[in-house]
Amino acid sequence: MKTPALLARALPLVGWLLLAALIFVPPNAGSRYLVYIGTLIALQAALATSLNLVVGYAGQFAMSHAAFYGFGAYASAILINSAGLPFWWSIPATMLAAAVVAAIIGYPALRYTGGVYLALITFAFGELARLSAANWQEVTGGPMGMRITYAPEPLFGFNLATGSGMYWIAIAMLLVTLAVVYFIQRSRFGRALIAVREDEVLAAFLGINVMRHKLIAYVVSSALAAMVGTLYAPFMTFISPDLLSVHETISLVGVVILGGAGTLAGPIVGTFVFLGIPELLRIETLYRLIILGVVIVLVVLLMPQGIVGVANRVVKRWRRTKPPSMPKAGS
Amino acid sequence: MKDGVMLLDIAQTAVDGLMVGGLYATVAVGVTMVFGIMGILNFAHGQMVMLGAYVAFYSVTTGLGFWPGLVLAGLSMGLFGLILERLVFRHTLTDHMAGLTASLGIIMVVEHLASAVFTPDHRTFDPPLAGSVRFAGMTLSAQRLLVLALVLLLVGSFYLFLQRTRFGKAIRAMGQNRTGAALVGVQISHVTAAVFAIGSAMAGAAGALYGSLFAITPYMAAAPLMKGLILTVLGGLGSVPGAVAAGFLLGLAESFGSRYLSASFRDGYGFVLMIVALLYFPTGLFGVRGTARV
Repeated sequence: MKTPALLARALPLVGWLLLAALIFVPPNAGSRYLVYIGTLIALQAALATSLNLVVGYAGQFAMSHAAFYGFGAYASAILINSAGLPFWWSIPATMLAAAVVAAIIGYPALRYTGGVYLALITFAFGELARLSAANWQEVTGGPMGMRITYAPEPLFGFNLATGSGMYWIAIAMLLVTLAVVYFIQRSRFGRALIAVREDEVLAAFLGINVMRHKLIAYVVSSALAAMVGTLYAPFMTFISPDLLSVHETISLVGVVILGGAGTLAGPIVGTFVFLGIPELLRIETLYRLIILGVVIVLVVLLMPQGIVGVANRVVKRWRRTKPPSMPKAGS
Repeated sequence: MKDGVMLLDIAQTAVDGLMVGGLYATVAVGVTMVFGIMGILNFAHGQMVMLGAYVAFYSVTTGLGFWPGLVLAGLSMGLFGLILERLVFRHTLTDHMAGLTASLGIIMVVEHLASAVFTPDHRTFDPPLAGSVRFAGMTLSAQRLLVLALVLLLVGSFYLFLQRTRFGKAIRAMGQNRTGAALVGVQISHVTAAVFAIGSAMAGAAGALYGSLFAITPYMAAAPLMKGLILTVLGGLGSVPGAVAAGFLLGLAESFGSRYLSASFRDGYGFVLMIVALLYFPTGLFGVRGTARV
């Protein structure tokens, strides 16, 4: 057996091992730094996984993911500070609001094939959201940002206001996101979504409501991003309009593409490669982002299916060339 | 007398709107043309504006002056566009997902390199024309008038180039049908490279003009790009006259909107216009290039 094939077969497995490590190492290592990094990675992986729903499964280009992430952070902070809502109630409220906004901008953009309109509109929306966060001083605190003083309330007797408490919330959010994507992938809806990605006109011909499938994927993905954003605010204790910047979305797109769009483990692998490894090696953010840009371009040019996608392909090729191990039936 | 003041106010707002709109149009022409010819939505187009502004800034601060800076900004960005086309976009031709993603990667590289090299500080340079001009009772900033004249010149001469020259004809032919143009002898790869370079050069020149009016930062690209994308939709994907017309329209809408409705919603007008356009005129002002509705 050739080594590349073995390696390739192991890659999705690597994703699950990384996830297991993310769940078991930080709480048991006794290091606050690891818990902090673990939370950050869990949040990013959850974001990447939810973006993958649109980019990977529906094949549509949404550039508004960071905007919804920031929307989640700001909306929940405003709901909690001004309306006095408990943290846990602010999550569904924020997700609902994000879903409504996503539906409003998704509907005109997704009526046509090709995905270009969605990229255009969502980019403009993201920029508009960032400008609103920066300029709407009375509500958002303007470019200086907002200080967050609240923390998640205890749940079932567990104190979740500490660093490790929020780490567990982040892990829970990642698992919820993964579960949503997993069930969508296994459902009739998910298969129809992939059909839409492969050929919209053909999918429409087969009786799939293309527009509705794309829109639902976009709305669910944006609502999940907003959910992750609600935790970001108390975790960082500070939010600013930079959170909504298009760079965040580009990093996420890069993570999804490097890991492998349209695979469940891909975003987790991508997040670790992009965030985990440089963080542990202490590479400065600026250089990390430059390298990330180069990697995005190279991945597009050289291996458009990402790490996990390439792995799957190698496995398939290896299976094809493998001599049949079963005795031929009937002869 | 009140009517006179009102009229002057309207005229001044209109001139302001045309100027801003002209700047938007100069950026949008490149985006829409590259999309029409190559089928690629180049999000990195905004970076040309930013780099062009820096070229002009350094040219003014080193004493070379604004005019050489403007020319240099255009030329260097044209060259940069040519390099990008060779290295990256040639290989993602007509695959808009790949092209778009690659352009996102380029944004990351260029923007963060720029922030490392130029530092994130806000920079401004002295515009070539200071002070204001009084004309028929209106007080107009001389630099803004100059910018208006320059963008009109840029967009106008580009339009003439497209309509009147043989090369422009080749570009238009390719926009209509790539294969057909190749069949009648258009050198497709040359034209593609030229289109990319010209679009980038216009964005670079627009950047120099931007820099003479607004602060220059490594992260300034997002706003002009956002406007450029809105115009691309408003004017109809791939339509140059559409983008120009939409540019002036958006400039006027923003300028009148912020003068008479609300200034803080300035950037929202274009977005609302775009949503309405997509709902009711999905092919834009001059768009003929329809995508299937499913």
